[in-house]
Amino acid sequence: MNPHPDKPADRPPDLTPDKPADETAATAAAAARLRDTIAAQFGRSLHIRTLDTGSCAVCEQEIRLLTAPHYDLHRLGFFFTPAPRHADLLLVTGPMVRAFETAARKTYEAMPGPKVVVATGACALGGVYRKDPFVHGEVSEVLPVDVWIPGCPPSPLALLHGLGVAVGRLAEKTPALTFIVEQAADPEASGPAGPEAAGVEADAAGPEAAGVEADAADPEAGGKP
Amino acid sequence: MPLWFLRGLRRGVVTTRYPARPDASAAALPTPPAFRPRLLTRQAADRLVAVCPSAALSRQDDMLVFDVGACTCCGRCAQEAAEAAPGAVTQSGQFELAATSRETLVKQIPILGGQR
Repeated sequence: MNPHPDKPADRPPDLTPDKPADETAATAAAAARLRDTIAAQFGRSLHIRTLDTGSCAVCEQEIRLLTAPHYDLHRLGFFFTPAPRHADLLLVTGPMVRAFETAARKTYEAMPGPKVVVATGACALGGVYRKDPFVHGEVSEVLPVDVWIPGCPPSPLALLHGLGVAVGRLAEKTPALTFIVEQAADPEASGPAGPEAAGVEADAAGPEAAGVEADAADPEAGGKP
Repeated sequence: MPLWFLRGLRRGVVTTRYPARPDASAAALPTPPAFRPRLLTRQAADRLVAVCPSAALSRQDDMLVFDVGACTCCGRCAQEAAEAAPGAVTQSGQFELAATSRETLVKQIPILGGQR
């Protein structure tokens, strides 16, 4: 992840120390420094510009729910902005149709640095559409993506987690996940969720439609253009 | 004087951390599949690969390659596995899947059920 492509030249020497001896320690230290920098730059307030590059608009529905009272994005210091000039983070959905390529590049160039690009949803990650004359198939073909958020669509909580990861406030969990359920004594008895699912099952309140609370008036409407 | 003002003075923090409490709706969301390698056979894996609409699954010899980023959580592999390899595919329950590297989203599932 390189959220500082426009950083002046004084930063890179810090991040690539030329001592191969304790490389892992140096890398860890560099990563810690980078996290601190990101937290200092983006930790308190972050403005998000959404970019729909041909999605079915369900990702946009979920992004819109972020501003609703139930998820309340603003309590975390995140805001949607209608102008890329004001944006720190570009939230890109859709498979990047080729007709949108120029607009996507211009949007990215219009953003002041440092900037973060987040690819959102299975389309943007290259899952749904293959590369063909009409679509690039994934966002990273055109823009330098820093954070990938899977899901079709990613739920508002997944988006919140992704934004937290993007600004270095939350740790990413995927490297530790294997999507392998260890063989129990009898495979049918261990329920519908894997052993790693403790966090999800912790609530006993039962399922409850998130959209119900989210129908409140929402002037920012997810930062759609 | 409103109570929230006193509470704010006492706590000092006005914003809550993510997530403030477990989300009630999270348990009802579809999540990517998780696999039981010992119940997977090559034939069953091929059927899962064939039924995946977003090409999130592919098989390389005795390894089922699962691209979490491409998965749309449609559950068709779980449906197919109910016939092909009962119990081999369940819901993972994971939804906080954001990653800073695309490669970490591609998972290798060993197929330990052999040829059956």
